[in-house]
Amino acid sequence: MAVQWKRRLARSKAGYLFLLPWLVGFFGLTLGPALASLYLSFTRFDLFRAPKWVGAANYVRIATDDPNFMASMRVTFLYVACSIPLKLAVALALAMVLNRGIRGLPIYRALFYLPSLLGASVAVAILWRQLFAGDGLVNALLANFGIQGPSWISNPHYALWTLVLLSIWQFGSPMVIFLAGLRQIPADLYEAANLDGASRPRRFFSITLPLLTPVIFFNFIVQMIDAFQSFTPAFIVSRGTGGPVNSTLFYALYIYQEAFSHFQMGYAAALAWILLLLIAAFTAFSFLSSRFWVYYDA
Amino acid sequence: MLETAPLAQGMSARRGAARRKPLRTAIVHSMLFAASVLMLYPLLWMLSASFKPQDEIFSGSLFPSSVSLDAYVRGWNGLSVSFGTFFMNSLVIAALSIIGNLAACSLTAFAFSRLQFVGRRLWFGVMLVTMMLPYHVTLIPQYVLFFNLGWVNTILPLVVPKFLAADGFFIFLMVQFFRSIPFELQEAAMIDGCGPWQIYFNIMLPLSKPVLATAAIFTFIFTWDDFFGPLVYLSDVRNYTVALGLRTFVDSQGLSDWSAVFAMSCLVIVPVFLVFVFFQRFLIEGIATSGLKR
Repeated sequence: MAVQWKRRLARSKAGYLFLLPWLVGFFGLTLGPALASLYLSFTRFDLFRAPKWVGAANYVRIATDDPNFMASMRVTFLYVACSIPLKLAVALALAMVLNRGIRGLPIYRALFYLPSLLGASVAVAILWRQLFAGDGLVNALLANFGIQGPSWISNPHYALWTLVLLSIWQFGSPMVIFLAGLRQIPADLYEAANLDGASRPRRFFSITLPLLTPVIFFNFIVQMIDAFQSFTPAFIVSRGTGGPVNSTLFYALYIYQEAFSHFQMGYAAALAWILLLLIAAFTAFSFLSSRFWVYYDA
Repeated sequence: MLETAPLAQGMSARRGAARRKPLRTAIVHSMLFAASVLMLYPLLWMLSASFKPQDEIFSGSLFPSSVSLDAYVRGWNGLSVSFGTFFMNSLVIAALSIIGNLAACSLTAFAFSRLQFVGRRLWFGVMLVTMMLPYHVTLIPQYVLFFNLGWVNTILPLVVPKFLAADGFFIFLMVQFFRSIPFELQEAAMIDGCGPWQIYFNIMLPLSKPVLATAAIFTFIFTWDDFFGPLVYLSDVRNYTVALGLRTFVDSQGLSDWSAVFAMSCLVIVPVFLVFVFFQRFLIEGIATSGLKR
């Protein structure tokens, strides 16, 4: 018994030695800072003077007296709720088309994937800002049809939708995941369904969709967590303002402004913790709901 | 790697079905082609606009009447510091990030997938949770930490975390791959008296080149494109990365010189695009495998 423990501990030593860089990072860059930011969220702190404890004042102000918070909530939820279902729908539709054994699959897959590889870059955000500007390309093209378009990015009714479009444009990476998922579906299921005379929609709803639910679920979680934290496109397109009239004030952008433009670091920490709780709540809810619509064994 | 034998059979059966309906196949192809053109049109337009004379930009045409490199010259020296400096800074950060990520994440992944130790499952679970943590929660104390260390306005806050395996995504990717390597190899090596270091260096790493390549490629793209990190930590224009330089350039230009802005945007995209062209297989397999095997 003692010998066994000794051996286990000896082996544990090697394990922890290999784990050391990650452990240092975890305590120094993740757990420590996370706890520190929880503490800071109850203080007023401007980086240069010591944090001053203010109790729940930051949270109270967020909940009762912060129109920017409400605006950024609205914008972020709208963005998540609109861009993700549309993006996943487009991704799935194209994956279905590409999975029908057509020639040139690798080429199409690569072409459709390219925007999601480049889409997070500043360069593409700048391109977007030009495309949807008042004198941008979209309006130049519309003018050919005699339509005079508005300045999409400086109109509070449209600005957010240009960013939703930018997000949908990057459907490539979920599409690649869907394609891989579709290939895992055993072909004999379709053959059996064909023998039974199942129609194409029937095959889709009774075979493809149920067997793909784990992949849909995975894509949904990844995209949702990512969309809640979206920053660069809104920052570039609105020049860091979140405008016009807060219509592109993504939550991450609001946190950045509070922390690094106004040096309200305590307040920003409180905002960050609210974001964490929101994402955690949505993820937990998704996992709970997955019991009712995700099929793990086929 | 993705195509297994029974699937390939299923594919060829379906391909046979497609051959019997040439019209349908033609329609599908033309629709896919149209969709690709629509998708890529903005990028192609930006590329062509970077070669166009200023007054021609807003024609939607993809073909400039005359090709000029003026915009590239104007853009390259458009700020007080040339884009050469930004490219150099980005390259240094990307190279160090790749080294850090490969070394630290492979060590961690080796521990999680190949070594027995007390608390392994717990730590692995903790690692998975950190992957879902929004970076904003740690952002401010990290900033304070780096500020007090005197690291703000250096590349250290952008690079050092990579050497501490801060990005769980890569650990996860490597764990998935390491698990697929047969244990028999490791056992045979252990019987021959190899310790964990020898197994790591002489067995795991040589067999893991594909996943190491994937991790290196993704690290390159992520750091090259990273905007938030440099925005927060770099304030001196001489330390700017390409992403930050580009944003500064476009804001300094106002709306006057779009072709120079596009020229620099294209240049900044080129390295990522080349990686895409040459290493596409790794990217797509990386996404497909890390996505499928949770």
